[in-house]
Amino acid sequence: MKTEIERIWHWRSTALVTAVLLTVGLLAVSFGPVNLDFAKIVKTLLGMDGGLSSLDRTLLLEIRLPRVALAALVGAALATSGAVYQTVFRNPLADPYLLGAAAGAGLGATIAILGGQNGFHAALPLFAFLGGVLAVIATFFVSGSFYADPRSLLLSGIAVGSFATAIQTYLHQRHSAVLRTVYSWILGELTVADWDTVKWASIYIFFSLLILFSIAKKLDGLMLSDEEAYSLGIHPNRIRIIAVGAATLATATAVSASGLIGFVGIVVPHLVRGLLHRATNRALLTVSLAGAAFLVLADLGARTLLAPAELPIGVLTAFVGAPFFLFVLRARRLQP
Amino acid sequence: MIKVENLTVRYGPTEVLKGITLEIPSNTWTCLVGPNGAGKTTFLKSLLGMNSYSGSIKIEGREIHGDMKRNIAFVPQRPEIPSGMSVTEYVALGRSKKDGWGRDAKHGREKVASVLENCQLIGLRNQFVTHLSGGEMQRVLVARALVQEPEIMLLDEPTSALDLHHQIQTLNQIEELKNDGVSIISTMHDITLGAMFAERFILMNRGTVAVDGPAQDVINSVIFKQVFENRISVHTLETGRSVVMPTRELH
Repeated sequence: MKTEIERIWHWRSTALVTAVLLTVGLLAVSFGPVNLDFAKIVKTLLGMDGGLSSLDRTLLLEIRLPRVALAALVGAALATSGAVYQTVFRNPLADPYLLGAAAGAGLGATIAILGGQNGFHAALPLFAFLGGVLAVIATFFVSGSFYADPRSLLLSGIAVGSFATAIQTYLHQRHSAVLRTVYSWILGELTVADWDTVKWASIYIFFSLLILFSIAKKLDGLMLSDEEAYSLGIHPNRIRIIAVGAATLATATAVSASGLIGFVGIVVPHLVRGLLHRATNRALLTVSLAGAAFLVLADLGARTLLAPAELPIGVLTAFVGAPFFLFVLRARRLQP
Repeated sequence: MIKVENLTVRYGPTEVLKGITLEIPSNTWTCLVGPNGAGKTTFLKSLLGMNSYSGSIKIEGREIHGDMKRNIAFVPQRPEIPSGMSVTEYVALGRSKKDGWGRDAKHGREKVASVLENCQLIGLRNQFVTHLSGGEMQRVLVARALVQEPEIMLLDEPTSALDLHHQIQTLNQIEELKNDGVSIISTMHDITLGAMFAERFILMNRGTVAVDGPAQDVINSVIFKQVFENRISVHTLETGRSVVMPTRELH
């Protein structure tokens, strides 16, 4: 049956995206103000003496590698959250950024930073998570219902996000001493990545993603009406709360680690959906890997396009993502 | 046996069902009929046990509310149609509970294949459900309920989008299920068609049960015409079957 072929295609596409991620990762650790040799990198990463100088070795292992790892983690978190939000809200335009979750998480993290939590450590994602969850809840209430009209949900998300950003801006003005650091963080950056950040981010993000992967089949039920889902043995509200909670934790961790990087959650799930021709909650692993590859590539672009200057990565993803979003919006409007 | 006692359902301040008390015997086909807004769909959905209500609904003596162990299939009139899902995947969703979310997938796949065959949906199996016509979607919904192998099947207007051929085909399949011991409860606007298959009718009006009993008795009762404001006529055929038709006042 063709479903068998589809299953094989599904695994092949996952393998393909993994290969793309590894290739993009290798390119990203190789290119920069100082280019490193591929073969030497691979040997060093495999624990052999690759022939890199001690300076290059430090550059690879302590600067580039944690940065690429963090970009991959954040990309996976944002893309997977986007796909899950789109399923839960039955809305192809839902994304961590547009729902206000990212701005809420940003506000939570800002409050944590200004409150003395300087730098990234265990508490920051929790503050961001709290901010993100409150923002998503506020978006529900403003839009009036869970499955609001996509435009209504979108407008509510934008309003809530703007409100959170306004409070954040006010806090920045009141605390100008830390304004510069926080401002560059808001635009989204991975320059401060270190292994400590990667360690904390990976704990929260892997935890969230594991939860989302484990409920992926039940997410199918949320694409039906609540009564249909219930008759199939799914408790819709329970799954909805778990899904939104885990997706928001992943978003919050991503925001805590790298600031507000928009549009990953909308671009990547739509690309994967187009590639696989299937609902993204049936291919969450592929979405995660594709998200990781997308952000590693975007970070490579941010580092090298205007070298030696560096673009904030959030600017680059918005540059690609905003036209893509308009394309999705228009395609949706043209649907019968 | 489904035993309903003093069932009341509210949507905000509005009482949609008002203290319904009745019994529905097992292994029968019961049809809910009545004018629009009578509360048929709300009553049907209440039997799922998901939404809150006051009063009591017991299946074989066990309260239904929150009891997810029950295997009750539900065929909605207006389903949410998910994107990116093929007919086979959509129908296979019906196996989710029965197969423990993929732990017993082999039997499930066989069941899905045989139901697709019986429902003449093999040709559509790789189509996306978003690309189906209203009638095709309705048949796919019934197929999903059939693979579920339920103890009770709830159907909300299962034939409203079907042509005559597929109406009979679908209702025959549901009747086979009833013959295998499944209790069927459906709403149907086509009362004549309902009376061809259902043994029992529950006539609802404004959130209450006006009358319930054997289908032919309900159709021929005085209250039946009154509920439809005397805008119907009932004709009895030589076979003993009743045909219900709308009447038109001539000016």
